[in-house]
Amino acid sequence: MPTTAKAAAPFPSSGGGGPVRAAVPVARTGLLLVAVSIAVFTATDVLPGDAASVRATPGATQEQVAELRAQLGLDRPAWRRYADWAGGLLTGDAGTSLVNGRPVADAVAQRGAATTALVGGALLVAAPLMLLLGWWAGAARRTRGVVTAVLTGAAAIPTAVVASGLAALLSGALGLLPAVSLLAPGVSPLRSPELLVLPVLSAALPTALFGAGLLSGAVADTLRRPHVADARRRGRPAWAVACVDVLPFLLAPFARVVAISAGGLIAATTVVETLFGYPGLGSLLVSAVAARDVPVVQAIAMLAALVVLAGLLAADLVAAAVSPRRTGPLGEAR
Amino acid sequence: MRLRSVLAAACATVLVAAGCANESAPAEETASVLRYAAVGSPAATTDDPHGRVANEADYLRFAMLYDVLTVPDEHGEIQPRLAESWEPVDGDLTRWRIDLRDDAVFSDGSPVTADDVLFSLRRIQNKGAENNGRLSMFDLDSSQATGEHELELVTARPYAEVGAALAALTFVVPEGSDDLTEPAVGSGPFVLGDGDDTTAVLERNDDWWGPAPGVERLEIIAMADPAARAAAVTSGQADVAGSVSPTVADEHADADGLQVVHRAAAVNYPLVMDLDSEPFDDPDVREAVKLALDREQLVETVFLGHGQVGADIVSPADPSAPDTAPVDRDVERARALLADAGHGDGLSLTLHTTNSYPGMEETAVLAAGQLAEAGIDVQVEVGPPDTYWAEVWNVESFYLNSLGGSAFVDFARMALVSDGPVNETGWNNEEWDADFTAALATADAAERHDRLADLQRRVADEGGYVVWGTGDGLDLAADTVTGLPTGPGFHRLFIDQVGVDG
Repeated sequence: MPTTAKAAAPFPSSGGGGPVRAAVPVARTGLLLVAVSIAVFTATDVLPGDAASVRATPGATQEQVAELRAQLGLDRPAWRRYADWAGGLLTGDAGTSLVNGRPVADAVAQRGAATTALVGGALLVAAPLMLLLGWWAGAARRTRGVVTAVLTGAAAIPTAVVASGLAALLSGALGLLPAVSLLAPGVSPLRSPELLVLPVLSAALPTALFGAGLLSGAVADTLRRPHVADARRRGRPAWAVACVDVLPFLLAPFARVVAISAGGLIAATTVVETLFGYPGLGSLLVSAVAARDVPVVQAIAMLAALVVLAGLLAADLVAAAVSPRRTGPLGEAR
Repeated sequence: MRLRSVLAAACATVLVAAGCANESAPAEETASVLRYAAVGSPAATTDDPHGRVANEADYLRFAMLYDVLTVPDEHGEIQPRLAESWEPVDGDLTRWRIDLRDDAVFSDGSPVTADDVLFSLRRIQNKGAENNGRLSMFDLDSSQATGEHELELVTARPYAEVGAALAALTFVVPEGSDDLTEPAVGSGPFVLGDGDDTTAVLERNDDWWGPAPGVERLEIIAMADPAARAAAVTSGQADVAGSVSPTVADEHADADGLQVVHRAAAVNYPLVMDLDSEPFDDPDVREAVKLALDREQLVETVFLGHGQVGADIVSPADPSAPDTAPVDRDVERARALLADAGHGDGLSLTLHTTNSYPGMEETAVLAAGQLAEAGIDVQVEVGPPDTYWAEVWNVESFYLNSLGGSAFVDFARMALVSDGPVNETGWNNEEWDADFTAALATADAAERHDRLADLQRRVADEGGYVVWGTGDGLDLAADTVTGLPTGPGFHRLFIDQVGVDG
C-alpha cells in the first residue's frame, strides 16, 4: 500500500537549515514594521486638527495657539518629528501625552494587563471554537457552501451589535452578569472573572465565526486528500483519522488564522471596551483619537501592529516546523 | 492528540486562574464609599487643574482635592469657601481685598497662604489660551499678597462680580507647583489615594477646615458612554451616574432603589443667527424665527419634558436673569413679519446641526418642521461632531450651539461684547457694551442685577440667540445617596457633603 506508507512517513519539515529559513520571515517582519510605522505616523499626522487647536479654547488668539503648538513641539517639520519618534520607540521611549504631559509608556502599561486578559481570554474561547466550526463547515459535503456563507454572514455582524445583544440577554434579561465591566484601580481583571465574560464573548464570537470561515477551506482540502480516503477505506476509526490524518495538516493554516484573528481581536477591543467601560488599551485608543493625543494613538497602533506581525511570524515559524509535507495544496500556498 | 492536550491545558489554566481569583477576593469593605461615574474620556484625564480640562470627572476630582476661593450655592449665589470675604478697597471697584481662612492646610501640613493663592491665580491666567481666559478680568501683575492670609486683587476695569469670578474653579495649589503633570498636594475635603486614568480613589481629609465630608472614600470613574454610566448604577457598580439622557431617566424614574436628580437649566441648544448675514441682519426675520417655533413641543420632544420653555434668555439660571413672559407661538405674526421684510414668497435657509450632544439633531429637525409652517423652508444639515465646532460653529450664519449653565457675565464677556472672542451672533452694540461696563461698575448688588437683567432682555428681544428651552441636568443615583447638588453651573461639582445611607 504505497499511499499509506507515504502518508505515514515522517516528512522532513524543511529542506534547508532552520535558522536560514527563519531569517527570511524575521527580516520581512522587520521591514513590515518600518512600513507600518511610516503609515501610522502619516495617518495620525493628517487627522484634522492638531493637539494645540484641540487644547486651545475658542477664545484663544492665533498667537496663543501658535505658542501652544511650539510648546508641544508640533511646529517642527514632519520628517523631523518622525525621526525623533521612531528613534524614541527603538530606545523604548514612546514620548509624552500631549493632553496631560505624562509618559505614554505609563498609560499603556497601566492598561496593557487588562487588554491582555481580554484578548487572551477571547483567543482561548475563539481558537477551539473556530477549529470546531471550521471543521464542521469543511466536513459538510453538499451544504458546505451554505454553511460557509452563514458563518461569513454571521461574522459580519458588527461587534457592537453582538456586544449589545449579549449584554441585553445575559445581563438585562437573565441578570447573570454585570452590564459594565469596571475594574478597580490596580486590580487584575483575573480577580473578577465575571467582569470578563461579556467583553470576552463579544470579542470572541465574531472572531471565531470569521476564523471558521477561513479554516473551512483548508479542512475541505485536507479531507479530500487521498491518504484520508485511504485511511477511511482501511477502516481506521473516525477519531483516529481526525487526529492522525487530518489535524497535522491543519496546524499550519490554523496557526495563521489564529494570528490573523489576534489582530481582529485587538481591533474589536476598541468597541467592546468602550461599550462595557472596560479600562483597556482599546478604550484608551478611542479616547486618545478624540483628544488628538497623537503620541498615545501612535504607541497603541504600533503595539497592535507589533502583536499582529509577531503573531504572523510565529505562525510562519510554527508552520515551517510542523508542516508534515512540503507539497500538496497547503505547502504550495506558502 | 496534541491539540487535545493543549486544549485541556488551556481549560485547566482558566479553571486555576478562576479558582485563585475566588480565594484572593478582597476583604469586605467597611468604610463608607461613594462611587461616582462621571462624564469623562480616560485618555483626556489630566492632573493639571488650571489648563485645558476636558473631563467632568477631572473637575469633580479637582473640586474635592483642592480648595477654591468661592462657590455658587444651589441658587447660583456666591458663597465663601477658602476666601472668607471679598470687599472693594476703593470706590471704583478695581481694587479688592480678599481675606482667606487662616485654618486651611495642605495635606503635607503647610498652611495655605495668600502667596499660594496668588501663585495659583497667576498660573490660571497664564494658561488663558486653554481655559477660556477664565481670569482675564484681573490685573494679577499689580495684585499682591498683603498678609499671610490676605491679598489685594486688582481688576483691569471696575468689576463688581469679583466674588463670581473667584468661583470660576480657582483651584489653589502650593506656590511653586509649576509642573502639574503629577498631582500637587491640595487642601480640599479629600486627599488623593490610589488611582489610574479611569478611576480616582480619594480618601476623606480629616484635617479639612470645612464640615466633615459625607463619606470616607470617594471613587470617581470616568466613563464616556452615557449608557454605560447608567448601566453602572443600575447594575450596582456605581452609586451615581452623572448626566444621563432623558430617555434613561424616564426608564428608571419609577425603578426600585433608584432616584433621578434634576439640575435645572443645565443645557440648552439655541438656534444661532448671525446678525451680519442675510437674512438675519433684518430684525423682522429674527423675530419671525423666534415667533414661529413651538417651544413647548420642542421641550417635550428633545428633553422629554425635563426642562423649561425658554424666552431667549441665554443664562436663565443666573441670579441676575430677568423674569420674562414666555414667548408664545404666533405663526400669523411671523408670516406678517416675513412679508414686511420682503420674504412674503417664502424664505429658504440651511440650519446646521450635529449630534455631539443628545437631542441636537432632533432639535434641528423639529424646528425645521415648525418653521416651515410659517413659510420658512429650512434644510437641515447634520455635520460630524469632530469637525462641527471648528467648521460650523462661529462660522455659518444659522446653526445650533450647545450652552451649559454658564453665568451671564462670563457668557457676555465671551460672546456678547463687541470684541468678545466668540461673538458668534455679531452682536456689536456700542451702547450695550457701555451699559455692560457700567453694570459691572455698580457696587449695589440689587441695582447691578437690574442692569444685568435689562442687558439680557435686550439680547433676547433683538439678538441672534433663540433659546427655545433649557433642559435639566439629569443624574441617576441609587436611592441611598443623599445630598446630591441640584444647583446651576459649577455647583454640581461640590459633592463633599453627599452621603450614602446604609
